[in-house]
Amino acid sequence: MTSEEQQQEGTQDGQQEAKPQAPLATLAATQRPNQEFKKTLTDTLDKLFPNSPFTIDETTTDVNVHCPPEHLSWLVTTLKERKELAFDYLRNVSGVDYEEGLTCVYHFYSFKHGHTVQLTVKCPPDNVHIPSLTGLYATASWHEREAAEMFGFVFDGHPNLKNLLLEEDLDIHPLLKAHPLQKPEILQGIEDGTPGFDF
Amino acid sequence: MSTWPTTREMDIETDGFDTVDMSINVGPQHPATHGVFRMVLTVDGERVVDCEPYIGYLHRGLEKLTENADYRQSMGWWDRTDYLAGMCCEGAYCMAVEKLAGIEVPDRAEYIRVIMMELSRINSHFMFFGAFGADVGSMGTSFIYGWRERERIYDLMEEVAGDRMFPTYFRIGGVTMDLPDNFEQRCRWVLDSVKKGLEDFDGLLTGNEVFIERCRDLSPVTPEQGINWGLTGPMLRATGLKWDIRRAEPYSIYPHLKFEIPVGRQGDVFDRYMVRMAEAYQSVRIIEQCLDEMPKSGLVLNPSLPKTLRVNDAECYLRTEGTKGEYSIYAIAKGGNKPYRMKLRSPAFCSLSALREMVVGTYVADAIIILGSIDIVLGEVDK
Amino acid sequence: MEFGDPFFGNSYIDAIIRLNIVVLVMTLVVIYLTYGERKVLGRIQQRIGPNRTGPGGLLQGFADALKLLSKEDLRPRNADRWVFELAPFAAFVPIFVILVTLPFAENWGVRNLSLGLFFVFSILGLNIVGILMAGLGSGSKYALLGGVRAAAQMISYEIPLVISLLAVAMLAGTFNLNEIVLLQETRPYIIVQPLAFVIFFTAMLAELHRAPFDIPVAESEVSGGYFIEYSGMRWSLFQLAEYTAMWAFSIFAAVVFLGGWAWPMGTEWGWGWQLFLTIAKSFALIFSMMWIRGTVVRLRIDQLMNFCWKGLIEISFALLLVNGFFLYYGWPEEVLALVQWAATIIFIGFIYTRGVRRSRANEYIGTYRNPEAATP
Repeated sequence: MTSEEQQQEGTQDGQQEAKPQAPLATLAATQRPNQEFKKTLTDTLDKLFPNSPFTIDETTTDVNVHCPPEHLSWLVTTLKERKELAFDYLRNVSGVDYEEGLTCVYHFYSFKHGHTVQLTVKCPPDNVHIPSLTGLYATASWHEREAAEMFGFVFDGHPNLKNLLLEEDLDIHPLLKAHPLQKPEILQGIEDGTPGFDF
Repeated sequence: MSTWPTTREMDIETDGFDTVDMSINVGPQHPATHGVFRMVLTVDGERVVDCEPYIGYLHRGLEKLTENADYRQSMGWWDRTDYLAGMCCEGAYCMAVEKLAGIEVPDRAEYIRVIMMELSRINSHFMFFGAFGADVGSMGTSFIYGWRERERIYDLMEEVAGDRMFPTYFRIGGVTMDLPDNFEQRCRWVLDSVKKGLEDFDGLLTGNEVFIERCRDLSPVTPEQGINWGLTGPMLRATGLKWDIRRAEPYSIYPHLKFEIPVGRQGDVFDRYMVRMAEAYQSVRIIEQCLDEMPKSGLVLNPSLPKTLRVNDAECYLRTEGTKGEYSIYAIAKGGNKPYRMKLRSPAFCSLSALREMVVGTYVADAIIILGSIDIVLGEVDK
Repeated sequence: MEFGDPFFGNSYIDAIIRLNIVVLVMTLVVIYLTYGERKVLGRIQQRIGPNRTGPGGLLQGFADALKLLSKEDLRPRNADRWVFELAPFAAFVPIFVILVTLPFAENWGVRNLSLGLFFVFSILGLNIVGILMAGLGSGSKYALLGGVRAAAQMISYEIPLVISLLAVAMLAGTFNLNEIVLLQETRPYIIVQPLAFVIFFTAMLAELHRAPFDIPVAESEVSGGYFIEYSGMRWSLFQLAEYTAMWAFSIFAAVVFLGGWAWPMGTEWGWGWQLFLTIAKSFALIFSMMWIRGTVVRLRIDQLMNFCWKGLIEISFALLLVNGFFLYYGWPEEVLALVQWAATIIFIGFIYTRGVRRSRANEYIGTYRNPEAATP
């Protein structure tokens, strides 16, 4: 990088920075869902997939797309490949145990546009199979292993779906709401005790 | 001889002299694994041909515990994720709950938070310099150099918050108590010594030919690879991508502060070290600005908070720039005084998942320092 | 009785007595070397070092020795019993034997061998045997890796070590250490052969597994290397061998390069001064080794080998050739010294600038020390 470029970048940064006299931006004002992006996403999805099964709403921080598991691969590929979306970074995969059924939540980020999106994949009650994203994002591997061991998801196409954080042969899914909070000794049968305690 | 294991006898009787790959178990108790991390290296002589990381030795069920405790109770556990920079984790947790519940934080508290978070960042980076120097082979000297400044920062934290590593100083809606009277003076003194400490590291490690020879061109990573592997923070910035959540998706008062985002050129181990070095200077700069611009008095805790915090249906993915990268929390509230789900997206966990790609093909000694350059904290990796 | 005379007029009894004295002194020196190393490293690392046992921690070494003697002698089940148990002795004895021929002062030594120099570097090679035995016999992969690393490193660095010594032997025209010392009465050989000394010192660090060449025992990689499975007495024998080697090598370097007991004023001021000279010179070398250990990071095994085979060996052969020309044509020694000093400065300068020029460190440091400036 030449010194000129450095100077240019320096001035650009200087312009971006707000003046200290301006009122303080609190967290409520930042990290909000991007309405412009929501419109782009809605348009793109409508164009590519008429009568799409996706519903788009908002969380406190992100644009949220509800997606059935069977359309996940298509949707993520679209999100990654389309130039106006260009989601090249999988931030996070988290499982959630809602009463309605197990849900897998993905967060994506686009380095090109600075957009974020959240995908909520709700599994039907009797089927916890979700296509794996390891082919698209290398970082999905460990995230999916973690979600699989904690909630019992089965990520189809994952090369190595072993336990990651728990013991290798432990076949429990501790983050399910049905799983009581208890000492591991009770779980292993070493100690007696009433399962579950509250703070 | 009967004491010999049978496998050895079989080895001796093998025809020919083919070399076999040897698998070495590094960890969980090994000086270079920074805690209880374990990896099985398959080596061909000194070359690593395969690497399988194993984590989970420090898994404490953080997320499960958080789901079962009141919003304010879990703070102490979140401290203990990235235990080298406890305040950053507290900050992330508090901001996540504030985002869920829509709680405002007083200005002075925001400044105090940023000061403490940046001090924690410096603290964590000093630990990195020290431990990384020890990985490269500096016989503890770099370690003690790092600890000297860390002690000063810890002393300051103790004066402010009453505890060194896990202060639980932040509260939802502000911080516990106001700063002590002579804080500004003490803090500036600590910052001066931090700058001196960084210069000491320049002399000890950065300018050392052997250190440069060891780290330069080792495991270069392109930005595309880095994004695909989920690298964030200094690891990603070392590849040359100017991306910092404090700028890209700002939180707290970071939009009002002047600081640069240091970037490397080719993402090698040396760049990762250098980016952290430059970041520490930027953190010093941020703290100095905060000390200058901070409201001299005012509330430090939102007075309108209820006795028991109950949050109705809400969902947020709150991202902060932790010391190792994107330290984000996916939080769901569904009424009641407990969160429905809190998921930690820990940076070192994701960086560590790319360890195999970075390590294979290098030497055993390189594998150790590549692992060191990720700057893992097992409390955060294992949750 | 003069100091050079045999005790009781019998050379066998004389040898035994002298050996015993050397062993006792050696043990004492090693105990205080460990203490000294911890103190020096402590100072370098801005801490105090041992200060609890005895005044100023002076008895720390004895306490450690006592603790080590009382510890259990463990043997892993996978270990090859006799190889494992004999390895510490095999590593220790060659080092100990080197001490036999070192002249501490005029006529102060166990034996004055006429092929002393040759004896020393032929015995040195045997040290590897013990280390390899430990590495292969421990039944541990770390030990194996450490042992093989040690073998590769020590065999490689023996070549420049021996050649740099040969350069001095050429000038001296003798292998007798006492005569070499006497020849340095007016000037030590480091003035005439600085490059040889630099090569010798570097190779010595590698032979002793001292930083930056502590690859076989790197605690962050192989966590101790070949002695990882040893405990108690046997482990302390390895430590004893290591520190004795450090001391023996330093005396050897002092004798061959720094003028031993003869320079300055050695022959005039008597044996006390001579003894002081030898010990002081050797301790100065040991201190510089500790200093290096406290400040320099470790090389990688391939860099280490490259440095030996693509650098040191060629330079040492060239050195031998230059010496040969000077001796054959009878050119004056002053010119030889000048040529050597120039070569030394070029050599060190080359290494230094190579490291600095090819790094981006200075650029980076300049940029980030000024946080207002643009990023690197």
